[in-house]
Amino acid sequence: MNDLAVEVKGLSVRFGDFYAVNGISFTVRRGETFGFLGANGAGKTTTIRVLCGLLRPSEGLVSVGGISFDHNEQAVKAKVGYMSQKFTLYNDMTVEENLNFTASLRKMEKATYEQRRKELFDFISFDKPLNTLVRDLSGGTKQQVSLAAALLHDPEIIFLDEPTAGVTPASRSRFWQLIRQLAKRNKTVFVTTHYMDEAEQCDRIALMREGRIIALDSPEGLKTAAFSTPMLEFDPRGSLSFAEVSAFARHDVFLFFEPYGLRFHAAIKSEDAWETVRNGFEKNFTIKRIKPSLEDVFIQIVEGKAG
Amino acid sequence: MNKTLIGFIKKELVQTLRDRRMRVLLFVMPVIQLTLFGVALSNEVKNIRLAAVFDSKDTVLRNVYERSIAGKWFIPARSSEQDPFTMIEAGDADAVLVPPPGGFTRALGRGDAKLQLLVNATNVVQAQSIEAYLQNIVQQTVRDDLEYTPLPPPIRISTRVLFNPSLDTSVFMVPGVMCMLMLMSTMVLTNVAIVREKEMGTFEMLISAPVSRSEVIYGKTIPYVILGMSNVPLILGVAVFAFHVPMRGSLIALFIASFAFVCTAVALGTLISTYCKNQQQAALAGFLFNFPMIMFSGMMFPLENMPAVLRWLSFFDPLAHFMGLLRNIMIKGGQAEYVVTHIVYLTIIAVICVVASFRRFHTTLE
Repeated sequence: MNDLAVEVKGLSVRFGDFYAVNGISFTVRRGETFGFLGANGAGKTTTIRVLCGLLRPSEGLVSVGGISFDHNEQAVKAKVGYMSQKFTLYNDMTVEENLNFTASLRKMEKATYEQRRKELFDFISFDKPLNTLVRDLSGGTKQQVSLAAALLHDPEIIFLDEPTAGVTPASRSRFWQLIRQLAKRNKTVFVTTHYMDEAEQCDRIALMREGRIIALDSPEGLKTAAFSTPMLEFDPRGSLSFAEVSAFARHDVFLFFEPYGLRFHAAIKSEDAWETVRNGFEKNFTIKRIKPSLEDVFIQIVEGKAG
Repeated sequence: MNKTLIGFIKKELVQTLRDRRMRVLLFVMPVIQLTLFGVALSNEVKNIRLAAVFDSKDTVLRNVYERSIAGKWFIPARSSEQDPFTMIEAGDADAVLVPPPGGFTRALGRGDAKLQLLVNATNVVQAQSIEAYLQNIVQQTVRDDLEYTPLPPPIRISTRVLFNPSLDTSVFMVPGVMCMLMLMSTMVLTNVAIVREKEMGTFEMLISAPVSRSEVIYGKTIPYVILGMSNVPLILGVAVFAFHVPMRGSLIALFIASFAFVCTAVALGTLISTYCKNQQQAALAGFLFNFPMIMFSGMMFPLENMPAVLRWLSFFDPLAHFMGLLRNIMIKGGQAEYVVTHIVYLTIIAVICVVASFRRFHTTLE
């Protein structure tokens, strides 16, 4: 049995002259939680739509769940579960009616469906009446019911396109607990997100910019690759003017110098260069060495602030 | 039956019928509209303001005027004291009878009676009706007052009004309004229902399942055929019982014709939806299609009056066929050849729309 859940080679998606996705290649192993990180318009959603059989690739080879689809989207669709960026339950229908409809789209047998529905309600800890209208649910609960709908037919691979957009931090945390449980059950989870803390929980992350994958590794691997020199955190000793901060940011010693809350994170070009200017900075800042966060990696690589 | 199709039908019916406003729009508004339009839409000309210039000795013209006012068509003009042209210009009268010098009665006695009728013809239909009404009244009054019987003309046309002997306009108009209402509640609803899925993003979820093109198309259309057909007895009931439109033909023929029309309208709505990306476009497209369809249907203006090219356009108008079918079945009793021919035409249009919808509809995103 092929160990790869997703295999993509030279995938391009073109709308007219515009390349939404431009020659990307990657693989996802079975049971892996794989993250797609990138700014809006980077091509994450387009890629996920191709992998779910919703969009035909302009070029390239794509295989999902061992099925290589040359216009064989239906076979792919049967193997995957998809939760879109937009909220995809019908607000004017009850939870039960929504799930009944999803089951009918998947042509599920009644007994299997009812068994699955019970399991999934236990899984998401849904304890409200089944005849609750979806519009009466909180944002977080709606997302969980959407997840249940995407999992109803017990798919091998689950594609989640920004599943936690617009929900409370507590709901986000709860949703990621569910994703981790799915991973434990050996499900392949492919997730796109804007949130760095969520991306940190993936086994591997692909960073996208302008339709291309510009880095792909585990969160730790990305941090190591992005920053061969130490990261520093600058905590201002007093108030700083905008002109002063701009002058620091433009200093030659830094790869980048970016605000991070009330502090600043910076990557230095070399230890030697840093030692020559260090005393000057210590007059204005308390400086400590830190491990780079994924946000630092994102700024460094995706937004290309330095280099 | 296919599980997916059953799921679609249940879902669409639940969504449409759960909303109170939709229930009102579907089942109450047609009744109200049919009642209102049935009463309001009429070609009969009534309440025409009539004036006549006569003195006390002109008894025949006075009788013509009084006879006119006594009928249901004319009412007295605001003033008869002004110059006849001024009265029409000022909007005080729609028609003025002007006798020859010395009066109409004396002129009749001389044998060279010429009565002038001034009519406001800004509304041509109204002007023609006024002329016809007054000619009849003048002839009858002259015959009665002077006991004068004109020589019979060489050819006499004996008119027998068939199917609508009282020439009741509602018998003609109500079936037309029925067609229009059924068009609205099927074509527009189907179009909006499909486009709404695209706009809300639920379409993406729907086609992320391994559903076939036919399952989605039939799943989104069959519920609206059911809803459209559920309107037929309701509208028919109002037409027959409230407006006394006769139901001379076979009910089965009428339901088959309605089914063919509802399927065609739903198929057309589906085809239009494949060109629309949001509900605004769907609403505008609905308007752009409905208006010409009504114009070329023969509901308002006789198709025979239109240039040949435009008459050909009506062949592609499902509303024109259904209107002909309803009038034929309800008023004339339904001639088998006519009914079958037009049902076949409707079916051809439906098949064309369905085939075109299938070609344009994809279970992938564009």
